[in-house]
Amino acid sequence: MKYAYIIDNVQESENVNTIAFSSDDDIKPGQFIMAWVPGINEIPLSFSSINKIKKITVKIYGEASEHVAHLKRGDYLYYSGPYGKPFTIVPGKKLLIGAGTGIAPLIPIIDGNTYGIISGKSKKDIIFENHFKDRLKIVTDDGSCGMKGYVTTALKTVDLDKFDMLYVCGPEIMLKSVFDYIKNINVNAQFSLERSMKCGIGLCDSCSINGYQVCTDGPVFSVDQLKNMDEFGRTKLQYSGKRVYF
Amino acid sequence: MILWILKINKSDNMNINTDIGIKLENPFMLASGILDENGYTMERILNNGASSAVTKSIGIDERKGFDPPVIYHDENYVINAIGLSNPGIGSFKDEIEIALRSGKPVIGSIFGKDAEEFSLLAKKMESYKVSAIELNLSCPHVNGYGLEVGSDPDLVSEIVSEVKSKVSIPVFSKLSPNTSDIIEEAKAADKSDALVLINTVKAMKIDIHARKPVLSNVYGGLSGRSIKPVGVRYVYEIKKELNKKIIGVGGIENIDDAIEYIMAGASAVQIGSVIYKYGINIFNKLNNDLNEFFIKNDINDIKDIIGVAIK
Repeated sequence: MKYAYIIDNVQESENVNTIAFSSDDDIKPGQFIMAWVPGINEIPLSFSSINKIKKITVKIYGEASEHVAHLKRGDYLYYSGPYGKPFTIVPGKKLLIGAGTGIAPLIPIIDGNTYGIISGKSKKDIIFENHFKDRLKIVTDDGSCGMKGYVTTALKTVDLDKFDMLYVCGPEIMLKSVFDYIKNINVNAQFSLERSMKCGIGLCDSCSINGYQVCTDGPVFSVDQLKNMDEFGRTKLQYSGKRVYF
Repeated sequence: MILWILKINKSDNMNINTDIGIKLENPFMLASGILDENGYTMERILNNGASSAVTKSIGIDERKGFDPPVIYHDENYVINAIGLSNPGIGSFKDEIEIALRSGKPVIGSIFGKDAEEFSLLAKKMESYKVSAIELNLSCPHVNGYGLEVGSDPDLVSEIVSEVKSKVSIPVFSKLSPNTSDIIEEAKAADKSDALVLINTVKAMKIDIHARKPVLSNVYGGLSGRSIKPVGVRYVYEIKKELNKKIIGVGGIENIDDAIEYIMAGASAVQIGSVIYKYGINIFNKLNNDLNEFFIKNDINDIKDIIGVAIK
């Protein structure tokens, strides 16, 4: 188990914080760690900054994420990793598509030729819009920020032919809607999946999709890989291993 | 050139298939508990070199298992306390059906608290068309199951007899190294068609910076290369004492490890934890390396080396 000294904590929105720590780990965009909160749980978390100063943006959804989100300067973050296959970074024009905090692991991809779409239920879910200057479209379910509608509403306003790669991160249902929108047009895309993860090292079968482990074979899958996965956006496994429908 | 042709011919006649009560096209089986909760995963592994897959241990009811951390690992070992998470026997038919599309045998691992539960589970598994049953008599980290059942010889004997009388497919018993007398345990399971040796060794990990046990359950089961010498010894001793058919498991990472188990008396071996190092490609590699080992050492049939080290 590794540990890191927290040097900063910034609140991004009502229930989203970014913690910062210094570490020599070589992290590639899209990789994750398993963060251990002793006595509580262990959860996968990805990076919103991968320089010498690492940043992790955490949305509070349970006890462990709440603990990590509230780590203060001087506290320790215990973790193992990094794990997982990263995004393949291509030269050329890139479009980052993130739902809510799903935009966070895409931030390290940003260079001089990157555009963005951020979707959310409402204005309070939209973070990191300042990383994109004017190269950004925002879409919310209730229209409280940017366009009113869903991620596909924003996609319809973009000329996808012009992009060399799409990078997509968010809940699987959102990923599936982007996948369905682009699957029949000739555009390259990579998707970062999130499923119930227990071990992080490809042994427990909890996060599997069509025989592939999200933790080691993913979390990043290409649009072509996903075309062969009929479980994508359809079924997932619960903690017990029971298959359920989305 | 002539030598090369001879070697090719030889490889044609070589026999790496084996018999553990069911016929296997090679001795490399997927061990229970690793990547075998989901039919698609088993199917993929069976299509990539494994001769058979033993399912995750399945019980009567759905179980969530323990909260993470459920696994700790370093380069030498893995410690797990998954906590017998499983979807329950009622939900497992579909998974086995998917795995069976590979055309390879699937072995249903089951756990229960008494002979009645084991029998019920075994009958269900048989109706799902598994080729054999593996009785988990040895999980070291869940109260009331596994090891607690397996360390009572009378109960083991009753469970094995009951299950044998209820199903017509072979029954294997997976035993624990965490008992004072494994020979007695093996004798109690004597009616099984084969013994599976060994389950994990009870262990724990403390993080010295957090000053706490890492696993949420505190105790877990040790697997990986650090337990191989323990496994080899149990296989050897029980083969020598009881001459039962044995499936070896524990810490196999390469062909030399597998051969060691086979020479100690194992007719087949199970592969599990090492997948965290090499992925599922380990099965194809083991098959290639076994063929190469046979050619180099002038071995024609796996039968010729099973238990050959016993003296």
